[in-house]
Amino acid sequence: MTASISLSGVGRTFGATRALADVDLDLEPGVIGLLGPNGAGKTTLLRLLATALPPSQGTVRVLGRDPQVPAERTEIRRRLGYLPQEVGFPRGFTAFAFVDYIALLKEWPQPDARHAEVRRVLDQVGLADVATKRIRAMSGGQRRRVVLAQALLGSPPVLILDEPTTGVDPEQRVTLRTVLAEIARTSIVVLSTHQTEDVAALCERVIVLDRGRVRYDGQVTELVRQAAGRVWLADQPDPTARVSWRTGTGRYRNVAAHARDGVEHVEPSLEDAYLLLRGDLPHGKPAEEVAS
Amino acid sequence: MTGWHVDDETLRHYVERTDSVAEGASVERHLLNCAQCRARVNTAATAVDLAVVDLAAVWDGTRDAVEVPRPSVFERLLRALGLPAHEAQLVAVASAFRGVWLVGVAAVLAFAAGAAVIGHARGLWFFLAVAPLAPCLVVAFSYDRRWDPALEPETVTPYPTLRLILLRTVAVLAVALPAVLLLGLVVPGAAPFAWLLPAVGFVALVLAASTWASPLNAAIAVSAAWLMTVWLLAARAASPSAVLQPWTQVAFLVLAAASFGTFLVRRRHVRQLRPWR
Repeated sequence: MTASISLSGVGRTFGATRALADVDLDLEPGVIGLLGPNGAGKTTLLRLLATALPPSQGTVRVLGRDPQVPAERTEIRRRLGYLPQEVGFPRGFTAFAFVDYIALLKEWPQPDARHAEVRRVLDQVGLADVATKRIRAMSGGQRRRVVLAQALLGSPPVLILDEPTTGVDPEQRVTLRTVLAEIARTSIVVLSTHQTEDVAALCERVIVLDRGRVRYDGQVTELVRQAAGRVWLADQPDPTARVSWRTGTGRYRNVAAHARDGVEHVEPSLEDAYLLLRGDLPHGKPAEEVAS
Repeated sequence: MTGWHVDDETLRHYVERTDSVAEGASVERHLLNCAQCRARVNTAATAVDLAVVDLAAVWDGTRDAVEVPRPSVFERLLRALGLPAHEAQLVAVASAFRGVWLVGVAAVLAFAAGAAVIGHARGLWFFLAVAPLAPCLVVAFSYDRRWDPALEPETVTPYPTLRLILLRTVAVLAVALPAVLLLGLVVPGAAPFAWLLPAVGFVALVLAASTWASPLNAAIAVSAAWLMTVWLLAARAASPSAVLQPWTQVAFLVLAAASFGTFLVRRRHVRQLRPWR
């Protein structure tokens, strides 16, 4: 059976604030990118998928199971890897000790098999050489990879990653992309990020969230195609452009709402397309107030 | 992690020890980082009729010795008390069971016991005020969300949260009660035993109250109420033996039973499980 996740009419409120509204999604194996500004509801959506949070409305099914039912929630958790946005670490823990601890909670009681699995995931994220280093002495990128390592335990069919590449250096990001692409052959990998280049490099499908609603759900190439003819280089910033910035060559990259003729067009990037999509959306508060 | 591997001829010289020191050192250096070549060493050794050693097992054992952290004193104590190794490890991770905190609790208890020995009635009251509170405070710290930095990844694992809470509670009682009892033996009279039932009652009360409030807030409230009670009794020049009266002890037993019952009934309201209630 193919792994799948489905959300139908899913909403989530926190008090009077609506973090998610009317989300309908069907997710199949592959890497799915989640883009959106701060407060768009990305983390809330990921926490719902990771069974850390129940929805206020609608239904969520993960691998055919209902997380509202305690026994089915446990079954989902047996098949889930989750990298939260923020994680603290118990004082004095090494990378090995932390991943080993989470492996215990993930039902790996046998020390030999567990230790081998811990080594495998630490190696996968490039931390094998610093397994005995205290986490508090590690760099931000290394800490992020420790948390990613615990998510990879047991090669789960569902991997939920909230900003996995934050603080990770370019070389390691490329390594992580290779790892995630391999996992995504058989698993559903949902990752939220502010790095559009990660989405462009890894994802076939991208979901753009804004103020708790899905504003785009489709192929990355299609989103980029929407920006064709709307990005060009010029010696000066164009006043008609939606955004314009000076590039390293000293010329200005202009991104406009409408296609322009007679200018030096360049290949649009996912970032250009995302900025244009964002520009088409009404600006306002990051989350909606629930009507009383 | 390299594209180069030891060729068969070099590997054969290595297992036969017919290579030079430099070649041997080079091969060993490579084997440290190449699982593929390490796996070939046994085959090469078998081919030349050498005794076969399970190098993979030796290697894993060596890495375990280097990488697996040494269990804490508390964890070893729990294992000695019969808790399976993996569950002892899970229990001992809690901040409340680590280093400075435990030393602090032990120091306060030792001070209270010292005061009871030296300070007669007031010292005894001080001991009776402090001793029952230590276990319930440690229990509260052991599963309070604010003292659990890795809570989010822990929450979405299949391990039952309630089991972890109860394991940590039992571990506190199993270790703290005999320890404080031993410390209390220096205290004159029957006071060394008078605090036992209050301590169990307060732990159960904190468990029950944590289905409404955070465990730490519950423990602070219980502690404040107990300290106030002791202060009022001491101020009225009552004798510490008031706590030793049978009816007082029975009251604490009832409190423990009722609180634990409440916790079991309301267990799904514990903060960690509350989102899915």
